Amino acid sequence: MGNQYLDTGWFMMVLTLVMVSLILYNISRAHGGKDLYIRRISGLNAIDEAVGRATEMGRPVLMVPGLSASVNAKTMQAINIFAYVTRVAARFANPIMVCCADATVLTVCQEVIRDVYQQEGLADQYDVDSVRFISDRQFAFAGGVAGLILREKAAATFFLGEFYAESLILAETANSVGAIQVASSTELTQTPFFIAACDYVLIGDEYYAASAFLTRQPVLVGSLIGQDWCKLAMIAMILCGTTFNSIQQRGTTTTEHKEGKWVDLPKERLVLAKDTFFSRLLKADPEKNIKLDPPREKLPPDQLPSGGPAGGDK
Amino acid sequence: MNLFLQVDPKSFWNAPHGSTELTVKLFAAFIIGIGIAVGLTFIPAQLRKWVVRFVTFGAGLFYVLFWIFPRPISRAPTDAPRGAIEGMSFWIADSQPVIMTLTNVIAGFMIGLGIYSLLRVHFSKIAKQQRDWAFSAVLVISMLLMVTLGYADFLQRQDPANFGLADQKNWGLVNYGKDLLFDGLLQNMDAGMFSIVAFYIMSAAYRAFRARSIEATILLVTALIVMLSLMGVVEFMWSGAIDSISKDNGLIQSFKLSAISGWLKGTIQTPAIRGIDFGVGIGLLAMGLRLWLSLEKTGGEA
Repeated sequence: MGNQYLDTGWFMMVLTLVMVSLILYNISRAHGGKDLYIRRISGLNAIDEAVGRATEMGRPVLMVPGLSASVNAKTMQAINIFAYVTRVAARFANPIMVCCADATVLTVCQEVIRDVYQQEGLADQYDVDSVRFISDRQFAFAGGVAGLILREKAAATFFLGEFYAESLILAETANSVGAIQVASSTELTQTPFFIAACDYVLIGDEYYAASAFLTRQPVLVGSLIGQDWCKLAMIAMILCGTTFNSIQQRGTTTTEHKEGKWVDLPKERLVLAKDTFFSRLLKADPEKNIKLDPPREKLPPDQLPSGGPAGGDK
Repeated sequence: MNLFLQVDPKSFWNAPHGSTELTVKLFAAFIIGIGIAVGLTFIPAQLRKWVVRFVTFGAGLFYVLFWIFPRPISRAPTDAPRGAIEGMSFWIADSQPVIMTLTNVIAGFMIGLGIYSLLRVHFSKIAKQQRDWAFSAVLVISMLLMVTLGYADFLQRQDPANFGLADQKNWGLVNYGKDLLFDGLLQNMDAGMFSIVAFYIMSAAYRAFRARSIEATILLVTALIVMLSLMGVVEFMWSGAIDSISKDNGLIQSFKLSAISGWLKGTIQTPAIRGIDFGVGIGLLAMGLRLWLSLEKTGGEA
């Protein structure tokens, strides 16, 4: 609790607020009807092609929203993209399969996929078993999904979300049945595996740009432009930081910052990285002297903890 | 087992063991929970949307405060807060475990839904004798066996009278059954699946490293240097050859495989990963913000 404030001081709090403001400002700009440009992302352009190919082959489209242990922002983004894929598949009357590793994700997926079929006026085509729970154990899940890919001969596969060591098992199995694959892992260590094995990979923040690119909703497009502004701010900070640090570290100093105040050094020395302005700005002083003044009063007897070795039995 | 153990310090969220206050709180929480569940089914869809937004915002706000609000320093369980700000920080610290437990309770309900989904798919397959229905039968039988033996084993081990179960000599059918299914089969099958990754790396690398374009060629050369630098014999021979040319010339020494590989990893790979990390972090911030403020609409409307 309060870790960010204590570890990085006020500056990171202000920076976070600035980034939040930039994103919200751009969302309001896009809401106001401002036409904002987003570049093309080839992995997302390939969705229609992949679903079309699956339709021609009469084989299903398989989607996996990663191995998240609960519904979080990463999973929601995957489900948003799957909703679009499902919409395209529903229009072509193409079967889909969504494999979940977590029961909470399963529930959200079922709701979203059913909504998509209803919005398209194809509620009767929705198969409850198209969204299924496989296992919450990593390799049991990998084995289950690999088995489904092989048995059903999926023509297109979408692996989006949190993937770990099972990423290559899934991608290579899909490759072995000739499926066209679009993938993205929020875990950077798995991205090279997807690049090696899949046809299209969304790298880094392309994953979070996907729903804006696919739906062109003003909120999402504005948010995406806000993200770009944040990235520009970060680049400016990196450039300023390296420039100022390089200049400062060429000089000497007779004072240093210790326990929250400046103290004189016995003799002049070269400026170290920890003495530089940007270093002190981004890192809280580890030697900051925190005093408890005045001391706290004690709780009245009737509000004292219940006691007992296990915290319960008196 | 005491199912109602209380955690110190005393707060709004707990009460002494066996007290009337605890019973009242448990009963009130149960009634409120049932009331909310029933109430939500009766309210109009438009209003339900606002309820969801309100709950989402409240839950998000709690964790925003949890991360940015200054935490209590050197707090003893008997300490009283010194003011409103510290009172707030005490309240957040005390509430967080309760909120976490709520998440676990929801996950507990959800696993039931997961099992229901799994059984429905596979029972229907068995009943209709669809293709590969035998696999479904194996899955259902294994699951039932694992649940039964696993739970029976767990209960036996929880009983202090069965401390002798630590020694295999005292095991019965239940313990051997659970050991066979979990340690003997499941763990080994997990390891088996993981080991397949090694072969898939080979086949994926073979396809990725074919020099069909400039990018693939760069990838091939880079991967080759890094891999060779990790091979002791090759590194030893290469370094020997470099040292035989000159041991003092810094430029020549920088052509050692370990130096080139280090430069590739430190100067090319790490900055690229940091750059991607920045993008992912900002993307996650924006996504979290949209979810928190209910600006995100699911459904992928084209």
